[in-house]
Amino acid sequence: MHETGVAAEIYAVSRRTADAHAGGRLSSVRVLVGELSAIEPDLLAFAWEAITSGGPDAGARLDVEWRAARQTCAACGTVAERAPGSWLKLCPRCGGVLRIEGGDELDVRDVTFEDAGDAEAAR
Amino acid sequence: MTQVDVKQKVLAANMEAAARLREGFARSRTLVVNLISSPGSGKTTFLERTVADLKGRFRLGGIEGDIATERDADRLRRHGIPARQILTGGSCHLDARQVRQALEDEKGALSALDVLFIENVGNLICPTSYDLGEDFKVVLLSVTEGEDKPFKYPAIFSKAPVAVLTKIDLLPHVDFDLPAVREQIRTLNPGGVLLETSAKTGAGMAGWYALLESGLVRKRS
Repeated sequence: MHETGVAAEIYAVSRRTADAHAGGRLSSVRVLVGELSAIEPDLLAFAWEAITSGGPDAGARLDVEWRAARQTCAACGTVAERAPGSWLKLCPRCGGVLRIEGGDELDVRDVTFEDAGDAEAAR
Repeated sequence: MTQVDVKQKVLAANMEAAARLREGFARSRTLVVNLISSPGSGKTTFLERTVADLKGRFRLGGIEGDIATERDADRLRRHGIPARQILTGGSCHLDARQVRQALEDEKGALSALDVLFIENVGNLICPTSYDLGEDFKVVLLSVTEGEDKPFKYPAIFSKAPVAVLTKIDLLPHVDFDLPAVREQIRTLNPGGVLLETSAKTGAGMAGWYALLESGLVRKRS
C-alpha cells in the first residue's frame, strides 16, 4: 500500500502547477496509471480523497486513465489481444516470443484549477 | 477554469534522487543490486551465503530495509561486512532519499565497495515503483510460495532482469510446479535470467556469482 505516498506526490505536483499559474482551487487532476505501475486505481482514489479532504482543495476530482501493457511479437510484429490481467505465452499468429511493452505509466497528465477570479465571480 | 498540461512522472522527485545516487555509484564503480521479494522468501539467507562465499574476493556491503528491528543488518555484519539498517516504520518500500541518508550516516563505509546489496522491504508490489540508483533489480521467489506468484505480481517479474528461485532443496517436499513457474517468468520477461538456487546446499549459486562478476566488469569498463 504505497498509494498514499503516490497520492501525496500527485497532490504536490498538482498544487505546484496551479500555484505556478496563480491558480485557485484544484478542480480535477488527470493521471495515467499503467498496468505494470504496481498501483491499484481504487486505492489511489481512496488515498487521494484522504489527502485532499479537509484542505483547500477538498472535492477535487482524480481522473485515472488506465494504460494496459501490450504484448508484441518480436518476430512478426503482431500486437496480441489478451483478456485484462491474463498473459499470452506465445504469439497467437506465428508462435514467436512476445515482448511486453508499455503499461508502466505513472504520470500526471494535466491539472484543471479555478482561476483566481472564479471564486469571487461565483459569489 | 484553466487546464494545464503537466506530463510529469509522479515519482519524478525519487527518480531525480536515484539519478544522483547512480552518478555516485558510477564514480565509485560500485555494482548495486536491489533485491525484492515477499517476506520469508529467503533474501537475507541468500545474501548471507553470497557474502560468505564472496567476501574474500570483493568488498561487499549491505543496506537492509525493514519496517522494524536491526536483525537483518546484524546478520550481515556477523559476516564481517558493513551493513546499514533502514527502519521504514510502516512504509512498505525503500526510496532513493532513504538510501542516500543511509550512505551519509555510514560516513563512507558503504561508499568504497565493489558490490552493494540493497535488500528491500519484504513486499512484491510497492518496491517495484522506486528506483534506488541500482544497476539492476533482482526478484526472488521461494518454492514454498504459490506457483502463481509471477502472474499475480506481473510488474516486478516483468521489470527485474534477474529472477532467483530460492530454497530449491525443498522441491521434493512441496507441490511446486517448476515448469509452470519457469514459463510464467519467461512470458513476463523473455529476455530475463532465471536462477534456481539453494543458499543451504549452494546449488545454483555459481550462476549468481558469475552474474555479479560480469556486472562488476561492465561497471569498471
